[in-house]
Amino acid sequence: MELLSYLLEALTPINLLLALAGVVAGTIIGSMPGLSATMAVAVLVPFTYTMAPASGLIMLGAIYTGAIYGGAFAAILVNTPGTPSAIATTFDGFPMAKRGEGALAITLATVASVVGGLVGGISLLLLAPPLAEVALAFGPAEYFWLAIFGLTLISALSVGNTIKGLIGACIGLLLSVVGVAVVGGDIRYTFDSQALLGGIDITSAIIGLYCIPVLIDLVATKDPHITMQSVDQRSHLREAFRFALGRKLNMLRSSVIGTIVGILPGAGGSIAGLVAYTEARRASRHPERFGKGEPDGLIATESANNATVGGGFIPTLVLGIPGTPPDAIILGALLVQGIKIGPTLFTAQGDVVYTFIYGLLIATLLMLPAGLLLGRYAFKSISKTPKTLLVPTVAFLTVIGSFAIHSNAHDTLMMCILGVAAWILNRFGFAPSPIVLGLVLGQIAEQGFVQTYLIGNAQGAIFDTFFGRPISLGIIICAALALFYPLIAEHLKRRKDRKEKGAIDVLTEAKQANTSCRSSAAIGFAALFIATGVGAYVETQDMSAMGAVFPGTIAVIMVVLAVILAFQQLRLPRGQKVSVEGHELDAPRESNIRRILAVVVLGAWAVLLPVLGFCVSSLLAFIALTANATFERPSKKEIVVNLLSAVVIVGGFYLLMTEVLLIRMPESLFF
Amino acid sequence: MFSNNLKKVIASIAATAALTVTPFTNSASADDYPSKPVNYIIPFNAGGESDLSARFQQASFEKIAGVPTVIQYMAGAGGAVAWSQLNGMPNDGYTIMGINIPHTILQPLQKDVGYQTDDLTPVHYFHYTPDAIFVPVDSRFTNLNDLIEYAKQNPAMVTFSGSGSNSSNNIAQVRLDEMAGITTTYIPFSGTGPAITAVLGSQVMAGFNYATSGSNYGDKLRMLAVASDERLPAFPEVPTFKELGFDLVGGAYRGVAVPASTPEAIKRQVSDIVSNINADPEFKKKMEEGGFVLTDITYDKMDEFIAAKKKEYGAAAEKLGIVAKK
Repeated sequence: MELLSYLLEALTPINLLLALAGVVAGTIIGSMPGLSATMAVAVLVPFTYTMAPASGLIMLGAIYTGAIYGGAFAAILVNTPGTPSAIATTFDGFPMAKRGEGALAITLATVASVVGGLVGGISLLLLAPPLAEVALAFGPAEYFWLAIFGLTLISALSVGNTIKGLIGACIGLLLSVVGVAVVGGDIRYTFDSQALLGGIDITSAIIGLYCIPVLIDLVATKDPHITMQSVDQRSHLREAFRFALGRKLNMLRSSVIGTIVGILPGAGGSIAGLVAYTEARRASRHPERFGKGEPDGLIATESANNATVGGGFIPTLVLGIPGTPPDAIILGALLVQGIKIGPTLFTAQGDVVYTFIYGLLIATLLMLPAGLLLGRYAFKSISKTPKTLLVPTVAFLTVIGSFAIHSNAHDTLMMCILGVAAWILNRFGFAPSPIVLGLVLGQIAEQGFVQTYLIGNAQGAIFDTFFGRPISLGIIICAALALFYPLIAEHLKRRKDRKEKGAIDVLTEAKQANTSCRSSAAIGFAALFIATGVGAYVETQDMSAMGAVFPGTIAVIMVVLAVILAFQQLRLPRGQKVSVEGHELDAPRESNIRRILAVVVLGAWAVLLPVLGFCVSSLLAFIALTANATFERPSKKEIVVNLLSAVVIVGGFYLLMTEVLLIRMPESLFF
Repeated sequence: MFSNNLKKVIASIAATAALTVTPFTNSASADDYPSKPVNYIIPFNAGGESDLSARFQQASFEKIAGVPTVIQYMAGAGGAVAWSQLNGMPNDGYTIMGINIPHTILQPLQKDVGYQTDDLTPVHYFHYTPDAIFVPVDSRFTNLNDLIEYAKQNPAMVTFSGSGSNSSNNIAQVRLDEMAGITTTYIPFSGTGPAITAVLGSQVMAGFNYATSGSNYGDKLRMLAVASDERLPAFPEVPTFKELGFDLVGGAYRGVAVPASTPEAIKRQVSDIVSNINADPEFKKKMEEGGFVLTDITYDKMDEFIAAKKKEYGAAAEKLGIVAKK
């Protein structure tokens, strides 16, 4: 068979080596929040000009797939998605790590990623030309409904707290419209600041919203970050495989979702993960366990996001429409090599394309050994690193990540501000995930909505354009199911519980105890959100109709939700002094002074970065945070070790950024 | 977050790369320029025409200049994030930036974007991508006349996808509407990629895009007319708007800029390098096959060129009402 001869070509030692090197490099880069596959691929493109086309492509593809997988490490171990496609991995991965199953979580993520990558890759190998048509069948209306489908996950994520979840989503959606609008060209909510013209960068916002709260709470106590099981020397591979085999339906469904969403140029890994997560939760017999460390959620996200890699190459290679930024760079590399993209590519230049696809599949398989090894290292080092070094290192990674995206210190400052806001909001029951979902899906939703409206208006059939298309209808039904299913399920469960009055578990009781008293803080927040919504609405008066419709609608929804929240609270009886909802108050050892100090150091870091220089400011902040996370009087030896570690870590990453990833540093006093 | 072994590996990779890739020199003298890799900042995301043409240049850069160039991306606010910071960047000729017209003329007219057109120092405009009308290959429109006739009978029914609001595509659509006495609906997308996908999938009736799309999707799309002075070598069968009786010539012009304070001698040298790349037969072949139209607007011709374009797009902007209400 002709196809198989290309397999042999992909198996040459040099191609194997490139695939392995690519996977390892990609996994490491992907595991660090903010260092993205796009960066690594962009830097390496010129080197591929001198390589054989297939070899160059194999390396780029391997880096890309490795990076998507590597994003799971940080998601599981420090609750921060290393890449946006791992957002939903944090939902269950981090709770698993916290209760001591971090190693198992990483192994499961590896197995799921390999399976997802294989499904996506095999679809690319066998079905690329027909599947590429999917990309064309999706118009603005379908993208709009897909984004809405993604948003419905909020209802599942915030059961018992739906109003707050929805308000969070509104915050995220409003944040997503900041800057120059693609549709209409208005500048919105920049408060005349040029720093906000470019909008709020999604990656740095995600880092801030998820990671900064973890950091702030990390310095408050001397407890270890994640618990490690006592007998943890054994490999989890067999257990993970057995577990994964039992979930093969979930894995397969999620991989197919990932492949299909990957084919859609405007969607990408984050949406694939979220959609697969929603579907897994809906199909599960224990939806209530999702978000509390349910392995099924982890498997769904990780198989889906790695399936998008193969899926994304389908429109890239068949139609020349890149699905993701790394796809776009690889497409550019192909064009520079003089390779003509299009359906004929698979016949005319089959040697290059099929060798590349096999290379991608081999790289995916190599993720298993490489990932397990790296994963063990990552897990062990995270769980063994003393807090004095873990805190500044994680903080340093958040600063690197937010800065590196655009070589811009504004993004770092925004990351810190959003992070602190997220910490405060989280303490009062507003979880960060709905905000992130709103931010990620906002632009897709808005552009899809306005474009659909314009097209429908031109044809005099607005209703039909929104609701009359078969794929749209399918997505709308899925979205409706996802939205109402958790509410109905909860309702049924509550009725059942009421029947068996005796058996109320401690958790629901605690929840009821907390929500049954009036919280003046919640009323305060409701007032704040009403004011924000009204302010946001007033601002839309100066915008064009195209630019105003989306933020205007969101602002109105936000005001309505905030009013409902306020009424809910006012109806409750005045309670005792339980002001902090849903948060453990039984921890007198928590140090708020350390928390405030950590925030101050982070803020100073972001502000001084462009003044003092990246390396100098980072070194100072690193040492300050080490001191802030030190709970016992350190010996002289410990001080020396910590100082040396600070120099090595800051210096190492500085070199990695400036010399390997070629990230531009700000012009400053020092370096 | 990694073990110490891994950290060592990373550090040693970094150190080796530092030694081999970048021999560190600090001189900004014009005599030995260029003597180290040149950073080439693209103010957009990867994958667009600006990125692609820079990648084509990159492939020939080392041959011409003797040193490689490194492409970096600094996307945001349609390029304004990068352009507003250009003059604060190192002025030794080792930082150069892609620059676009009409973007750098229209943006400061519309709003305060942190720079004025005259603050920027382009040293060479090396090509433009003419606007062109595309329809899916199975469309009922076989030529421009079909489309205009249909639009006359069905006002506002014809939908054009294009890259962004108030962009070159948008201006071309409004100009054609005016010249032909028709009303069409412009649907802005977040870039050429999504805009052309909408045409391919028949989500819109037609697209006002750049001619470059014709080389990538040639067999799936039909190009009805192109806004260049003469027919393009890559598409000899596609008529120009001029031939069809509409005086519509325009598109996106792309060049290379440096910080304003860069020494004159180095500005000229950068301009020469770009000129020489333009003359490289390999580069020329790839660009023309791709539907790009090479231009040779060197540093000494720049003032005249910018003045002419400012007048042209300034008038267009005023007519379209996209000048800022201050």
